[in-house]
Amino acid sequence: MSWVLLAALVVPFVTAAVTLFTGHRSDVAAKGISVGGSALGLLLAWVVALAHLGDAPPLAHVFTSTRTVGPPIELAVYVGPLGAAMLILATTVAFLVQVYSLGYLADDPRYPSYAALVSIFTGAMSVVVSADDLWLLLVGWELMGACSYFLIAHHWELEDARAGAVKAFLITRTADLGLLFAIFVLGDRFGTYRLSTILRVITEVAVPRDGLWLPALLLAVAVIGKSAQVPFHTWLPDAMPGPTPISALIHAATMVAAGVFLVARTYPLFLSSPSTLTFLALVAAVTMFLAAVYAMVTHDLKRVLAWSTVSQLAYMFGGLAAGAWSAAVLHLLAHGAFKALLFLAAGSVVHAIGGATSMDVMGGLRDKVPDTFVTMTIGFAALAGVVPLVGFFSKDAIMHAAWEEALHGRLVWPWVAWLLVVSMVATAALTVAYSLRAWLLVFFGEGPEVVHDSPATMRVPLVVLAVPTALGGLAVTVPGIIGGAPGEHLVHWSTSVLMTLLVVATAALVLVLYRRRGRAMWGPVVVPHPPIDWVWDRFLVRPVRWLAVLVRAGDRDVIDAYADGAAASARGIGGLLRRTQTGSVQGYLMVVVVGATAIAVAAGLLA
Amino acid sequence: MPLWWPLLVASLLFAIGVYGVLSRRNAVLVLMGVELMLNAVNINFVAFDAQLHDVLHAGQTFALFTIVIAAAEVGLALAIVLLVFRTHGHIEVDELRELADRDDPAELSAPQAASEGVA
Amino acid sequence: MSWVEAIFVLLSLVALGSALLVVTTPHLVHAALWLVVTLGSVAGIFLVLAAEFVAWVQVLIYVGAVVVLLLFALMLTRAPTGRQADLTVRRALPAALVAGLVGVLLAVTVVAGFRDVRLDLDHTMVGSAGATGTAVFTVWVLPFEVLSVLLLAALVGAIALSRLRADSSAARGDR
Repeated sequence: MSWVLLAALVVPFVTAAVTLFTGHRSDVAAKGISVGGSALGLLLAWVVALAHLGDAPPLAHVFTSTRTVGPPIELAVYVGPLGAAMLILATTVAFLVQVYSLGYLADDPRYPSYAALVSIFTGAMSVVVSADDLWLLLVGWELMGACSYFLIAHHWELEDARAGAVKAFLITRTADLGLLFAIFVLGDRFGTYRLSTILRVITEVAVPRDGLWLPALLLAVAVIGKSAQVPFHTWLPDAMPGPTPISALIHAATMVAAGVFLVARTYPLFLSSPSTLTFLALVAAVTMFLAAVYAMVTHDLKRVLAWSTVSQLAYMFGGLAAGAWSAAVLHLLAHGAFKALLFLAAGSVVHAIGGATSMDVMGGLRDKVPDTFVTMTIGFAALAGVVPLVGFFSKDAIMHAAWEEALHGRLVWPWVAWLLVVSMVATAALTVAYSLRAWLLVFFGEGPEVVHDSPATMRVPLVVLAVPTALGGLAVTVPGIIGGAPGEHLVHWSTSVLMTLLVVATAALVLVLYRRRGRAMWGPVVVPHPPIDWVWDRFLVRPVRWLAVLVRAGDRDVIDAYADGAAASARGIGGLLRRTQTGSVQGYLMVVVVGATAIAVAAGLLA
Repeated sequence: MPLWWPLLVASLLFAIGVYGVLSRRNAVLVLMGVELMLNAVNINFVAFDAQLHDVLHAGQTFALFTIVIAAAEVGLALAIVLLVFRTHGHIEVDELRELADRDDPAELSAPQAASEGVA
Repeated sequence: MSWVEAIFVLLSLVALGSALLVVTTPHLVHAALWLVVTLGSVAGIFLVLAAEFVAWVQVLIYVGAVVVLLLFALMLTRAPTGRQADLTVRRALPAALVAGLVGVLLAVTVVAGFRDVRLDLDHTMVGSAGATGTAVFTVWVLPFEVLSVLLLAALVGAIALSRLRADSSAARGDR
């Protein structure tokens, strides 16, 4: 089975290479190879994953090991139920995105590089979820970031795309320093880079409370950056100029979810450090509310979804901080499904009206793009937490866990837990509000003519994703399938009822406002952004630029000066020596005579 | 007589010849300076030959050879001087500076080029 | 001081004086004539030093041929007669200094080196024609032959140079 996993990891990279080499010769070949390779990778991943869900023994294998000065670095994999579920999510969404892209990017001349990068990304994500060696994880992690950069800048003739790509890369890369240093600390502390070994040691040996706060905090910083939480949240909405399938794959379902995955994977480490959990809870509480507010007032459909992603990721972090591992993971998987669905549907809408993403130019599309309408409605409903879709169950579980934590929890500052609860409730309401607003603005009222309806390759993935969105709620009956504690149940009547009431009340309020005020439901509200970007610019971007100028000046004026100076001085000396060639024979003779005399004197003196 | 008398004479004559070579502007006068130097050398040879009582008469023989070489040299040198005179119209040695290293290519006439190779 | 020494001193003074005049006189042809005097004195010095054959060869070739050649050259290059102001370079001091330096160096060397050595002219072998000829044609015959080749080369060279000029001037229409 480990060889099947290795094949599943390698196939995407091979597909990418083949696509790149053959892609520009034949359009059909590129599309066939990329989708075929994706399907093959999907198949292999499913085979591995299905064998390791639930109670099945996890797959742990070391392919090869290198000797270093310190602990060895190994090509080690570990697939437990969490990893299996993530593998399924990643490869399935990637495959659906590849199929969708056939329609969305049908006429794009850069398709081969796009498809290759999506394949590489899929491979990298698979590596991250199945890696057991921390360095292997880091490689996959960084590779994802690189693919994200390239893919956001797919339309690199647009300045937004270029700027968004650079911003995303810089911010996530800076945060990834946390992961790098966490690896150093863990390797130093435990003498090994094997994650399963480290986690086993932490769970078996009693670690003093907050004894491992440093690696935990460093990891927290890294995941906060990758998953776009405050203060690293500004890159995700600016990554929207990338093609919509990419937004679906990378910025909804997989890459940003990798942050949550990492916390879930290394959960014992976080559990041993309540201060880190407190920090995480605080960040989550602030982020989820702030992001939901932004989603409420923005006019761009994709930005609504982007801020929604940030907010939902904060929900997951909040759940993890409150100790609800299974609930958070369930929400991660659910969110992956319905957010991908929402993004792909949004892409379908955008494609249908000819490329505009602003909701101001949309409206009344429910009759013109019926398949998209139905699937997007299901997606929004799941996002808002409508019973009995999957979003409801997962959010409900998280909220219950936060409530429990606030009542008898172990966080360092209890008020943080209460803040988390309040924030979650408020955010739930806001989520309903912005989902409903987006749904109304896009599909109701007066709107533009549809340029053309989406092709089948775009509609089929929507339908495929709608299925788990609608039926995934059944997973709560068997939490063990994703590795949760046996006997844990995720449905609690108290919170469920409260949540449903909340959803209904908010929906009613929004509908009333829509009736009264039309499309500008809450008037022209301007929500100021905290000056995060200004801070980044001042303290990171500008110093780096100055440093670059300094380095270039050093190279040009100091080092090149030596090289140029060598040439100039050679020329100068040559010029000086030239003056001896006067052309006057008597001058030459004078020199000869004096020279001979000098040598004679010297010989005489020395002899 | 002390040996150093003829040797001193030779040295002084040599010095005068050096002065002549270095300071005279006419090429023929320079050649006269060269003759003076060669004569000084001959005096040296002959003086030592007398002092060493050389059976092989190396000193005097070499003085003879020096005279022969001087004659050959003067013949050839004067041929060159005449060539220079024909191309330049004068034989002032300090005006003949075509071989100086300069940026502007000095105009070289073909015979000048030929004589450069021979000299 | 014996007679020989006195004659030697006299001849030396004449030689040096006329050599000085050769290199300083402002008259071109006078320089050649003073050279004759110098060469003659040197021949005399050779005689004093018991080198007869060399002395007469000196007169024959140097005074007879070389000086004549120099005079011919002066004539062919249209040497101006009368006093010339520009026969010596304007800044003659460096040349004088160098010459002076060389002279001083050599003089000091020889005097310091051979201060106590005496020439015994009474018992020296006279360089008569017979003695010199025997030496040249037995011991030094190889250099002698080489010298003849050298003379041939010089001859050929001189002819080649003058012919070269004649050909090119015909080809280029007499510059």
